[in-house]
Amino acid sequence: MIRLLQASALHAAMHLPRLLRSRRTLIVLLLALAPALVAWLAGRLNSSNAPGEIAIAVGWIFVLQLVVPLVGLVSGSAAIADEVEDRTLTYLFTRPMPRASLLLGRWAASALLLTAMLGLGVGLFLQAAALARGAGQPLEWGIGAPLLCATLAGGLVYSALAAALGCFVKNPIVVGLAYAFAVEGFLANLPGKNQVLTVQFHLRSLLAQHASPAWAQFEGFTGAGLLEGTTSAAVLGCLTLGALLAGAWRLSRREFVLAS
Amino acid sequence: MSAVVEARELGRWYGDVVGVSDVSVTIEGGIVGLLGANGAGKSTFLKLLVGELKPSRGSIRVLSEVPFANARLYRRLGFSPQQDALWGDLTARGTLEFLLRASGFPRAEARDRADRALRRVQLESAADRRVAGFSKGMRQRVRIAQAIAHDPEFVVLDEPLNGLDPLARRAALELFRELAAHGAHVLVSSHVLHEVEELTRTVLLLHRGRVLAQGSARDIRALLDRRPRRVAIRARDPKRLARALLTLDGVSAVRVGEDGALEVETRDLAELETRLPALAAEVRAGVRRLAIADASLDALFDELVGGAR
Repeated sequence: MIRLLQASALHAAMHLPRLLRSRRTLIVLLLALAPALVAWLAGRLNSSNAPGEIAIAVGWIFVLQLVVPLVGLVSGSAAIADEVEDRTLTYLFTRPMPRASLLLGRWAASALLLTAMLGLGVGLFLQAAALARGAGQPLEWGIGAPLLCATLAGGLVYSALAAALGCFVKNPIVVGLAYAFAVEGFLANLPGKNQVLTVQFHLRSLLAQHASPAWAQFEGFTGAGLLEGTTSAAVLGCLTLGALLAGAWRLSRREFVLAS
Repeated sequence: MSAVVEARELGRWYGDVVGVSDVSVTIEGGIVGLLGANGAGKSTFLKLLVGELKPSRGSIRVLSEVPFANARLYRRLGFSPQQDALWGDLTARGTLEFLLRASGFPRAEARDRADRALRRVQLESAADRRVAGFSKGMRQRVRIAQAIAHDPEFVVLDEPLNGLDPLARRAALELFRELAAHGAHVLVSSHVLHEVEELTRTVLLLHRGRVLAQGSARDIRALLDRRPRRVAIRARDPKRLARALLTLDGVSAVRVGEDGALEVETRDLAELETRLPALAAEVRAGVRRLAIADASLDALFDELVGGAR
């Protein structure tokens, strides 16, 4: 276990500086900053839009439903799939360290960077929303803080899912996008309790539990079917951990056929 | 001393494609050449040997260990893969340091070992340059350096001379000999017989995924030299040239194809090449083209397989 942690820390330390120089990080950063631009435009183009209304509408529809899955998947899919694609996995798999450390360390590095970028993105987004001059819903703590928490939680969950997928399939980003935007969308629209199976449901539960009543303007935030915020946080945590454990298990046993 | 590699009925296939099949072999150590044409299964065998792949059938043990995902073995094993893949954004030193750290060496020792390994492959002057800007030969040397930097007991090198210029090739061969002289076992794959011949007398010959022969390079070379060589000749008057060629020492058969091309079998290629111009002029056959049809290692394998049949 100590060897696993040491090796994971080494991978994280080695991966982080390389991530900072990568094109993928630039894409993630641009995506994370996009909501700020949208909020600024929303405030500029329609002067009746209030800061709180912009934060809620753009935050829920654009940030949580689009940007968070997208950046999580783009960021997490790099953990293993890049090494397979570049055929450099050979060097790492013929070293005396637990294979699982590769996934854990590299995911930890990308999660750290993702958290920083999403945090910056949400911060700038709220700043941009605050510039709006509309007289309606003001921007309050109950809007911004839960949005930040849900964004960071969602980013970590989706990136862990993508990283784990990289241990099972060749194109984790494609499978991840199909899951996030097709499967989750389908489940969310089925009657009954199927929504519980989606990440988005738990992100919504996090917001509804701890956030301003202003969120209630969206369908789905007022329903009695939402879980307690703490329950959803636990579910998301378990999902992240479960994905990483499944990925680590698979990585320890799987052979990767790399072209010569 | 137990064998370095022991494979029993080892098989590995990719869907319908056979990588290696029914390989039973014992490699005792020292420098061993793994010889085979492209597609013979050398890389698959080496990937099974270093645990990158799992056998579809049979078993393999390396230094008495099952290789797949075996951390104990990887402390004692160095592997230079054939694929020209490295982290382009890292420097040569950075690459080696990272891999040495991953092998469990502390930072300072990893740096020392990286420098030493880069010196051994004569890359010390490019140590701080990014690998992305390296030539193919330099990248090959980085791959060799990472395989030897942790002083492994057993070094496995897949086509390590590819991309090297003659000087670097000579230096690499010298390095492999030096590793062996210091007690390491070295397994080098190649599809070029004379490369292996320069390095070792012990050769394992793979063909179409099977072990064809195990023995000395000299025996294989002798086999290559003894067998008749086929030469394709195009001439204005092939029949007249065919009659003339049959008078030459060493020519055992001449066939005239439907398209008028001659196929000559000779045990003395040098004699044929020397005497052909004069002979052709004498009978006014007008030689237009000459090609040695079976100069490659493939031809030797076909010969051996044919003989086995």
